[in-house]
Amino acid sequence: MDRIACGRSVVDMIEIEHLTKRYGRKTAVDDLTFTVKPGVVTGFLGPNGAGKSTTMRTIVGLDAPTAGTVRVNGKRYAQFRSPMTEVGALLEAKSVHAGRSAYKHLLALAHTHSVPKRRVREVIDTVGLSDVAGKRVGGFSLGMGQRLGIAVALLGDPAVLILDEPVNGLDPDGVRWIRELLKSLAAEGRTVFLSSHLMSELSQTADHLVVIGQGKLLADTTVDEFVNGRGDGKVRVVSPDAAALAERLQGPGITIASPKSGVLEIQGTEAAVVGTTAAAHGLVLHELSTQRASLEDVFMEITADAVEYQQTKEGVAA
Amino acid sequence: MSATMLAESPATYSPPAQFRLSGSGLLRSEWTKFWSLRSSWIVMICAALFGAGIAVAVAFDFTIPPPEASEGANAPAAPVDPLTALNVFFGFQLASVFIAVLGALFITGEYSTGSIRSTMSAAPRRTGVLWAKTAVFGSIVLAVYSVLILATFYATQAILSDTEYGGLALSDPGVFRILSGQVVMMVYLGLLGLAVGAILRNSAGSISFYVGAILVLPMLMVELPWEWVGDIAPYTPGNVPNTLAMLDTTGATLSVGESWAWMGAWLVVSFGLAAVLLKRRDV
Ligand SMILES: Nc1ncnc2c1ncn2[C@@H]1O[C@H](COP(=O)(O)OP(=O)(O)O)[C@@H](O)[C@H]1O
Ligand SMILES: [Mg+2]
Repeated sequence: MDRIACGRSVVDMIEIEHLTKRYGRKTAVDDLTFTVKPGVVTGFLGPNGAGKSTTMRTIVGLDAPTAGTVRVNGKRYAQFRSPMTEVGALLEAKSVHAGRSAYKHLLALAHTHSVPKRRVREVIDTVGLSDVAGKRVGGFSLGMGQRLGIAVALLGDPAVLILDEPVNGLDPDGVRWIRELLKSLAAEGRTVFLSSHLMSELSQTADHLVVIGQGKLLADTTVDEFVNGRGDGKVRVVSPDAAALAERLQGPGITIASPKSGVLEIQGTEAAVVGTTAAAHGLVLHELSTQRASLEDVFMEITADAVEYQQTKEGVAA
Repeated sequence: MSATMLAESPATYSPPAQFRLSGSGLLRSEWTKFWSLRSSWIVMICAALFGAGIAVAVAFDFTIPPPEASEGANAPAAPVDPLTALNVFFGFQLASVFIAVLGALFITGEYSTGSIRSTMSAAPRRTGVLWAKTAVFGSIVLAVYSVLILATFYATQAILSDTEYGGLALSDPGVFRILSGQVVMMVYLGLLGLAVGAILRNSAGSISFYVGAILVLPMLMVELPWEWVGDIAPYTPGNVPNTLAMLDTTGATLSVGESWAWMGAWLVVSFGLAAVLLKRRDV
């Protein structure tokens, strides 16, 4: 593990090693190993029930691992003398007493770490709850509750932020706001780890992706690699000389399909090569395009097995 | 090259060093939590109204001798025990149920609403939260009931001043023991409620358990046909403080000292169990 003089780890702020969590006979997380680095936004992606929330609860010590270890900056969370400045968490489940005002909820948490009232007001302003801070949380909308949860996570100005499905219930403005907020927090060198079951939510915010399904690791890569690494870049050609072109393009590692006459879908090459080949042989092209698999497609593909497995299992049980 | 490296290596962030988790911080946090709920105020006021209100109302009609004394109405009047006037305090038994329920809700409310997740994320060693809740709640009950019971004593004595039950002073034999006994009983039962809440984590379950197993069961035990069951009844958690507030302790199974010892024992057992479970269970 790389360390710098002041003792803070530069790499791997969150280290999850062989984490397994069972509830009775249900295995929620299954031998999961990955790390989350500071300075970038890491997305935690997986279908509902994949074990994201469970993993996040073990990071802040609410659930104890059945096996394996979870460390933040080299320590177990409970060992920190000021946990709130190390990790700020927005959990999926409601974590506020409905009878208390937003201000008092934050104030009670602030007191534990002797965080001044000034800081409480500051986070209330940051999340845009100033007008309703004195109102009982029970009357809050989903989005307001979510903003309060984000205020709680920010309260200790922590080095690591963990946010479980943070955009749930936020309006489009709120979604844009939180994306910018998370990016700026990561740019300050903090570790930002946020989960979602929707690829589209993470593709615009995250730099790195940890993908899980059925409690198991499916991928741990950058967002770019996640798409390109799947290698599904297809070149689509519409040409009256399709058959002739196909013949000229034949080669090792190249697959050519023709979904209907006059149309080719070529894998294993690039649009430039196809265009050059066509020109060299005087073949007419009506259309030439590269088709990237969308992040959503890749995600669906990679998690399909996990979801199907679950559905068959439930089908058998029913 | 080195410029690229610099741009790519992330800025290192160090969190603020002045924020520290502390015991005094947890106490302030629990204090804020207690008083920021409307239910705390409502239950505290109800308990006070039942305890003091019944005492004052009864004091106005206390000139009628209590039933035990009226049996010998025709016989020459026996000298009244001056401590009889302290019977007006029986309303505080009802108040103690409110206080015990409030103690249980102080913890179970966190589980039912989910705020326990914020609480335990901020204090991941967990037991500090339990001790802070215990200290804050115990102190509040101690302070409020010391004042309330003293005020009730002076108020009822003022009402009874021109009857044979008036004229008691705090320094008269037994008076301070009984009044302080009422306060201690209140604190003890409140803490017992809190421990039950911490163990069971569920509001309805904790209240049912407290009322059923701690209040009512010991009363049933003496009615059951097995003598040994009746014999252990005075040692059950809900009964051990009774001696403290008795007018006459000569017939009591437990002495005042034993009563204290048993209260201590039950608190150690219940809070020990609560602490172990708090450490071991997932939040
Ligand atoms: N406290 C719990 N008790 C029993 N099962 C649980 C508990 N928490 C989660 N699970 C189960 O574990 C699996 C993973 O859940 P979760 O971590 O919430 O997934 P995600 O957040 O990815 O949707 C689910 O099948 C869920 O039903
Ligand atoms: Mg979840």
